[in-house]
Amino acid sequence: MLRPPDGFYRRLNPVTKLAIALCTAVLAFVVRGWSPPLALLVGVGLIVAGTHLGRAFLPFVLATLPLLASILLINTFLYPGATDTILVIGPLRATGSGLTVAGQASLRILAFALSVAVFALTTPTDDLLADLERRGMGRRGSFVIGSAFQAIPRLATRAREVADSQRARGLDTEGSAWRRIRGIVPLAGPLITGALSEVEERAMALEARAFSAPRRRATIRPMPDSRVQRIGRWLLVGITLALVLATFTGRLALP
Amino acid sequence: MGWISGQFTTRTIVLIPIAIAINISLGFTVQTVLKLPIYLDSIGTILVGVLAGPIPGALTGVLSNLIWQVLGGSNIGPFAVTAGVIGLLAGLWGYLGIYRSRPASPNQLIVAAVIAAVIIGVVVFPILNNRAYTDPNIGGYPSWVFGAIVVIGILAAVMVAGFILLRRDLAGFWVAIAGVLTGIVAAFVSAPISAYVFGGVTGSGVDVIVAALRQGGSDVIHASLGQGLFSDPIDKTITSFVVFIVLAGLSRRIVARFPNGERLIGEIVD
Repeated sequence: MLRPPDGFYRRLNPVTKLAIALCTAVLAFVVRGWSPPLALLVGVGLIVAGTHLGRAFLPFVLATLPLLASILLINTFLYPGATDTILVIGPLRATGSGLTVAGQASLRILAFALSVAVFALTTPTDDLLADLERRGMGRRGSFVIGSAFQAIPRLATRAREVADSQRARGLDTEGSAWRRIRGIVPLAGPLITGALSEVEERAMALEARAFSAPRRRATIRPMPDSRVQRIGRWLLVGITLALVLATFTGRLALP
Repeated sequence: MGWISGQFTTRTIVLIPIAIAINISLGFTVQTVLKLPIYLDSIGTILVGVLAGPIPGALTGVLSNLIWQVLGGSNIGPFAVTAGVIGLLAGLWGYLGIYRSRPASPNQLIVAAVIAAVIIGVVVFPILNNRAYTDPNIGGYPSWVFGAIVVIGILAAVMVAGFILLRRDLAGFWVAIAGVLTGIVAAFVSAPISAYVFGGVTGSGVDVIVAALRQGGSDVIHASLGQGLFSDPIDKTITSFVVFIVLAGLSRRIVARFPNGERLIGEIVD
């Protein structure tokens, strides 16, 4: 998934984007109240607008819908201990405090999902790994993460193939729950056994190519980084830590 | 440091990304093709933990959840903590040799099957009688949940005992216990995350249980914990048995080459 780096945000160093995504995620979940998730949403929204990737964000937002629906329904109607009823539908009572909790949780999740999406859509994994390796992560780390990203589509296709071939042999994927539970081993078995037989070949191939050699690999394509970004990253991490500490010690109470 | 680096041989390094892919692709396939209300997204984590040790196991779990989140998962990221703990525990079970095949005489098998069934009863009983669930001041299940727990408990006891007797392998006993314990720990780790971050729900079918518990009067964290104590032991026990069956089907040569291999293959029986 290589995209030409246009626009201010996409040209940032991958580690800067990683720091932004992680700090937004932590702040979204830790700092309580209405204003923090709203502020984050506005911030992330501005970045989203700046990337000109509008439609690509849709799947990430859609993925949160079942969760948001569940949060809104269960908390609004069944919030423990809430008595400030605002609406009665049959046996169900919607409460104000439940709705507040649900609304804040929904905003937090939207802010979090969007910040992850911004990171995923603007940062090619290869760039991030190359840059992390230059900063000293080690080739083992970048191999693990990089080949995981490659293996997922491959194994997902394989899982579908296994499911189809077992269906052709009479595996019941539509019957009762008990029949479907019995389908787990015929599905998982061939998938895992097949994947494990790859391990042997790959391990040997890596060893033959000096994977365990002690020296660092040379960086052929350095990612641009700047002083401003370096200072910005540390500032961001510092502010995030301060806000998290202030929240946990109870010194920060935002509306 | 030797203890940690000994777990990260080149084979382990190659296994981890594949295990991450197994977690994600199988979790996704089981949830969409078999449409079962369980997660089955920790098979790879437990596999790595058992084969390579606790630290690679934990790493596999954490990375799986983070990568799944980046690829478009809705709320899996924060549960990386739970996945890490599951990997650590799997490493512990691997060291203890839980997943080693243990052929035994018919009498021993019957004794083990009976004890396994009794232990499942002992695990289920406190859930039925726990003050956290029956005391109306703290919370409480609506009555149908108790019936469901009894049915599931009996089913689980029959299945584990049957597994031990049909495969003639005492390991089934230990695998079941390891699975249930892993599930209980996972539930206790997940509940605060779910309550603090997501308002106590998960966005999947198990939220019905959360709703039922709240209807019964339990607070946010106890409702999440109740749901976890219901789903996780079942999920992790099934996962553990899948890993055990897969490991038993692999050739000893492949298993023996992993850092923990010697503890998994046991002695050669002719």
